[in-house]
Amino acid sequence: MRDIFFDLSVRSVRLNFLRSILASIGIVIGVVAISSMGMLGTNMQLEVKGQLSAGANTIVITPDVVRMGPPGFSPQGSGGTSSSSSSSVITKSQLSKIKLAAGANASAIIPVYSTNTEFTLGSVNGRGTIYGIDPDYITRFLTIENGTNLVGANDALVGSSIAENFELKIGSKIKVGSTTSGSRAEVRVVGILEERGMAADSVSTDNAIIVSEDWYTNQYGGKNEYPQINVIVKNIDTITEVEEAIDTRLNANEKTPVIRIRDASSMLSNISSTLQTMTTFILAIGAISLLVAATSIFNVMMMSVNERIQEIGILLSIGTETGEIRRMFLYEAFILGIIGAVVGGIASIVIGYSVVSAMIGTTDYFFMPESIAYVPIGMLIGIVVCIISGLYPAWHASNMDPIDALRAE
Amino acid sequence: MTDTPLIRLVDVSKVYHLEAGDFTALNHITLDIMEGEFVALMGPSGSGKSTMMNQLGILDVPSTGELFMNGKNVAGMTNLERTHMRRDVIGYVFQKFYLIPLLSAYENVEYPLILKYKKRDSTGRAAAVLKSVGFDDEMSAHRPNQLSGGQQQRVAIARALVNDPKIILCDEPTGNLDRKTGFQIMDILCGLHREGKTVILVTHDPKIAEYAHRTITLEDGRIAES
Repeated sequence: MRDIFFDLSVRSVRLNFLRSILASIGIVIGVVAISSMGMLGTNMQLEVKGQLSAGANTIVITPDVVRMGPPGFSPQGSGGTSSSSSSSVITKSQLSKIKLAAGANASAIIPVYSTNTEFTLGSVNGRGTIYGIDPDYITRFLTIENGTNLVGANDALVGSSIAENFELKIGSKIKVGSTTSGSRAEVRVVGILEERGMAADSVSTDNAIIVSEDWYTNQYGGKNEYPQINVIVKNIDTITEVEEAIDTRLNANEKTPVIRIRDASSMLSNISSTLQTMTTFILAIGAISLLVAATSIFNVMMMSVNERIQEIGILLSIGTETGEIRRMFLYEAFILGIIGAVVGGIASIVIGYSVVSAMIGTTDYFFMPESIAYVPIGMLIGIVVCIISGLYPAWHASNMDPIDALRAE
Repeated sequence: MTDTPLIRLVDVSKVYHLEAGDFTALNHITLDIMEGEFVALMGPSGSGKSTMMNQLGILDVPSTGELFMNGKNVAGMTNLERTHMRRDVIGYVFQKFYLIPLLSAYENVEYPLILKYKKRDSTGRAAAVLKSVGFDDEMSAHRPNQLSGGQQQRVAIARALVNDPKIILCDEPTGNLDRKTGFQIMDILCGLHREGKTVILVTHDPKIAEYAHRTITLEDGRIAES
């Protein structure tokens, strides 16, 4: 069953088609402005967050005194706890305390050995970082783009930049260690890592070789003397809590702090809130165009009411309820809103996509819910603005005196 | 049939407050109209005919005095109740037809049914009433501006009749028609009176007023002759 008042509204819009369409164009522009500005802001946020968030859920624990260079090739090597140099590395007992403090909130506690090294591929020499990480943990925070994880004792993963610069392939052999050294260890590339950029967890793999913990400690010694421990928390909201627990357990009884604890979340939230402010600002600019649209809808609705005073008088005098008159004009505003919103919605996908593509350079995030949601949100706002603009004209029409209205020409 | 008048005016006055001073359009009118009457309301311009018409059509309420319509005091009714009474008890026929321009002839007649039952007519009532005023199906789809004056007035009468009102209130129904068409319209109204409707006719044309069984003449807001 179609409502006759809806039919009347549709016919009124059709009768004044050009005028109605022109008014709707205002809404189209408003919807496009709101949607594409919102999408632009959101995509900007997502892009920046995406770049920064690798390792945002990770607490990085390092000794308070930053250790320079490798732990040396000291023969004490395996098993030596070397308690005398307690502040230059994290000891096994400190690691136990960290595990205790983090408890169930940690999804992984990963000791990371690292040092700088020279390496040679064929006849070409290079420099980079070598990381020693338990193979079981590698895939928890690193992504292997090609090949497999470490299996054999001499297997290694390489970062994307090294792989590219040295044209490394799966199976390539790399000599590791000082070029002046006579006997250099050799590793075999089994996997190439995805590009990581500047990671918040201090594991920058792009220009690095990753080997197993065992291979590393065999080569460089320092077993159970960790230069860095990464704690990945299960829930990013608990990160501060976990940090405090670790701090209390390890630093509280010491004269000076023995370990440093940091994470990327505070930086990330600062940047996020800055970007949020920018998004709100550009949304406000979009909203101005909707304000203009609202004025034009109001104008058209008032014209429609004023042109139809006598008709309103007829409707009222033969027994139309005032609510029905209001409904008729609100339908008309709603129809203008729907036309504007649908056209605007389609246009904002096209325009939003182009703007995001041109200004951010990637549309990876465009169809993500928090971005594309601005299309229905913009459409909804457009329709609501139309209905609000129609409220007064509808009220004005329904409150006319039927006798005066009938007399109008 | 019943002794209670369908319409009763007791000492009704209507005063308009104008900048130049108060203007009394109706001056202490007392009048009964019984069900089934055919009444003509006559009088020169400015005599209060239109004001009277608005009162009888309960488009307005008296300034003083009481107007009972179908047994109810109009002043004591809410706006919504008056709206429903206009829809259900009174059928209006205007000089300028006042059809709804956006609706077809058929839809114009169907419209009061939709107002009353809040749904489209599926009973064939609208079509039947249109037929009873001599309007064929083919013409029903036309919009008012495609119809002649006589045709429009037939549609207007059909619209007035469709909710089966007790009262047909006609304001110069032939005023915009040629004489021949005017008499045809009057024949329809006489037919309605024969069927038991109360017909009230506002006119300044004595020839038209002759159709009525009772003529009330207004002068300066008072009943001069009844």
